[in-house]
Amino acid sequence: MSETAAVDAQVRGAAGVPLLAVDGVRKRFGGLTAVKGASFTLAAGEIVGILGPNGAGKTTLFNLLTGFIAPDAGSVKLDGHELKGLAPYRIVNRGLARTFQLTRPFLGMSVLENVLVACLAPRVRHRMASEEHARRILDQVGLREKAASPVEVLPYGDLRRLEIARALATDPRLLLLDEPFAGLGSSEIEPLANLIKRLHREENLTILIIEHKLREFMALVSRVIAMDFGEIIAVGTPAEIVRHPRVIEAYIGRTEGDGAAA
Amino acid sequence: MKVRAIDIGGAIGAVALLALAPVLGNSGYLTGVLTLCVIYAIWAASWDFMSGLTGRENFGHALFIGAGAYTAGFLATVYFANPWWSLPLSVVVAMAFAVIVGFPTLRLRGPYFALAMLSAAAIMQRLMLIFWEQTGGEEGLYGLEPLINSPLHYYWFVLAVMVVTAAVLMLLARSHWGLILRAIKGDEATCQAAGINVTFYKIASLMISAAFAGLGGALYAHYQLQVSPPLFSVITSITIIIMVYVGGMGSIWGPVLGAILLTLLTEMLRGFGEYRLWIYTLVLMLILFFLPGGLVAPLWRRLTGARS
Amino acid sequence: MLQILVYGAVISAIYAMLSVGFTLIFGVARILNLAHGSFYALGAYAAYFLTSVAGLPLLPSAVLAVLFVAGFGVAMERFLVRPLRKSQLAVLMITLAVSLAVEQALLITFGSEYRNVPSFVADKVTVVGVDISGQRLLALVVSVLVLLGLWLFIQRTRLGAAILAISQDPEAARYMGIPTDRIFSTVMAISAGTAALAGVLVAPFLTVQPSMGLLPMVKAFAIVIVGGLGSIPGSIVASLMLGYSETIVAYLISSSWTELVSLVAIVVTLIIRPAGLFGRRAAF
Repeated sequence: MSETAAVDAQVRGAAGVPLLAVDGVRKRFGGLTAVKGASFTLAAGEIVGILGPNGAGKTTLFNLLTGFIAPDAGSVKLDGHELKGLAPYRIVNRGLARTFQLTRPFLGMSVLENVLVACLAPRVRHRMASEEHARRILDQVGLREKAASPVEVLPYGDLRRLEIARALATDPRLLLLDEPFAGLGSSEIEPLANLIKRLHREENLTILIIEHKLREFMALVSRVIAMDFGEIIAVGTPAEIVRHPRVIEAYIGRTEGDGAAA
Repeated sequence: MKVRAIDIGGAIGAVALLALAPVLGNSGYLTGVLTLCVIYAIWAASWDFMSGLTGRENFGHALFIGAGAYTAGFLATVYFANPWWSLPLSVVVAMAFAVIVGFPTLRLRGPYFALAMLSAAAIMQRLMLIFWEQTGGEEGLYGLEPLINSPLHYYWFVLAVMVVTAAVLMLLARSHWGLILRAIKGDEATCQAAGINVTFYKIASLMISAAFAGLGGALYAHYQLQVSPPLFSVITSITIIIMVYVGGMGSIWGPVLGAILLTLLTEMLRGFGEYRLWIYTLVLMLILFFLPGGLVAPLWRRLTGARS
Repeated sequence: MLQILVYGAVISAIYAMLSVGFTLIFGVARILNLAHGSFYALGAYAAYFLTSVAGLPLLPSAVLAVLFVAGFGVAMERFLVRPLRKSQLAVLMITLAVSLAVEQALLITFGSEYRNVPSFVADKVTVVGVDISGQRLLALVVSVLVLLGLWLFIQRTRLGAAILAISQDPEAARYMGIPTDRIFSTVMAISAGTAALAGVLVAPFLTVQPSMGLLPMVKAFAIVIVGGLGSIPGSIVASLMLGYSETIVAYLISSSWTELVSLVAIVVTLIIRPAGLFGRRAAF
């Protein structure tokens, strides 16, 4: 208990004015508690990683934050406004966008149309509902040449970029990326990492990234929240996290990088 | 898909042909058949707008058709209203049905939604029989007045309504609205992630679909001058779906032509009497097995050399 | 009161027979079979034809009728549904087409007038002080026995275990080498056979006419929605709920209002608990 409190203090200490405040969010599925009372905050402009082996509850936590799953308890506040209980699309329109770990494009539509749909979200519709705007976003993620292709023929790496483009089209203040590097070859990882860095810097986006491998994002994030078995076990800089005994025990100790615990 | 000159030319040609056919044929019978063709075209187009675009196949479109037709029937036989009131009021009633039925059922996907709509229409048909004192039971309601006395003029009026219906629905389908409906067909969760209020668009689309179906129902009631429970029947719904299938789902104009062709076919097969439905079933099976994309729309694209 | 208890039991048992087959073929093969009501109608008509036209004794007629419809169901699944299984809409369309074709065939062959089937048991029986026709009682007893038999079959036999495995996880079952196609045929035979048996049992005391299958189909659907699509215990519990609600409504208001019960049941369930009482998945 005291340890959790210490972790909490650490989180709050690290944040300035919290853009996102997650407090005691909990979710049970049948007998299994997928997320056991997660609490943390994000300051505006931060880029933070959530680290944990497969099955640690990271994606469930994302689903809880974005309204795709209703939490049993706790609160999620974006800029002081409660998000809990809102439908997922409403949360997006409050400025919290996400990507899916398994890419989920709109089939039967072109790349441009995929992004255009998100430009029609009420939050941005009045100023962004145009092909020009959708094209600008495709530019940002490096998919301009693919605008007219049907999504069905898109290689995997481009689908990952399309996920990000769709999220960006809703002009989020906070972007949640669910394992953006999953399934990518080593030659594709660095350009994508650079894209995320650029978005963080140029668009002043606050970004929360899930990753279950250490290597990919240790250089990317300024702070890491480590999870295991549905609990936040440690928070700190990447350098602190890799030395944290509970992280080493729960995670690195098991298998190098791949979290075979699942 | 871009609209090409040849498409617009084809549409104008088809409408002109439809408008002139009864004059050229100089036959009251043909006028009657074509009126029926055009009413079915309205129903097929309205089905396609909701179900073809979002992929939520509505197996109870007859619910809205019957609601519109019975609205016209009640107005005529109970309230003795001016028959022109039928048109706006049937639209309103059909849209109300869409809201009432849509909220519980549109949360469901695929076959669940299809069956729920099928049940809703079947039960409405049943209710018409249960409350026979009000609805006239099996016989239905008689004594509607025609909107326009000349059958030829009425046909032109219905044709004009159909052209406007198809044009409005096609414009909507090509607009951002249609894009969102196609996105809903693709993946509802992704739509949510894109900030789109999926429920709103589904309900609103069902309302639009119902509005035109109800309007067609009222036009039908003032054509037959009576309404009866089979309007709500599964056969009505399935006939429309077969028409959409033949026309090519999702294009709106394809189903319009599919409806006209199949209604004409039905008339030509009138001699076969009871076996007609079997022929329909056979047509459906052939399409399902050999032409899953439909007949009319793919054929036109092929003939005029459109890509995709 | 006792009357409600007994008559409700009969209706519930018939509904259970109808809906178990409907939910079973969905659970196993993901076929939402709109021709399910036709099996029921075909069963009743086959019984009518064999007894009244062909002049066969009752029991062999009943057996033949059930076997005939089971064979019809298997053929439908094999030749019409299986090639289209990839698209759920196509499956819905083809099964609906079959149901319309069957209805039309019955209409052409037998005409639209009501047909009578002789009762298996002519006498009136008194159960717990309630007079009930022997045929209704027979329908109740046979339904309960068939459902029990089905339950034992699924719980106790290898084939039953395989059916259960597929309905719980079709992919895994395929990997385990369970021959899914053969199982689909078996389940289709059971599904069509039980529906036909329900038709045979009710034929003597309900009206036999070509469109008799539609409403039971809607009711089977209502039951399956309430109980949870694919869940056998769910459909049995829901059958009892619907059967008794209808009996009570018929008793308190009028029998013509009973049709509304299933509508209300569907709507209420969809609003409150879309997965149904025993459904595992949300919605679908």
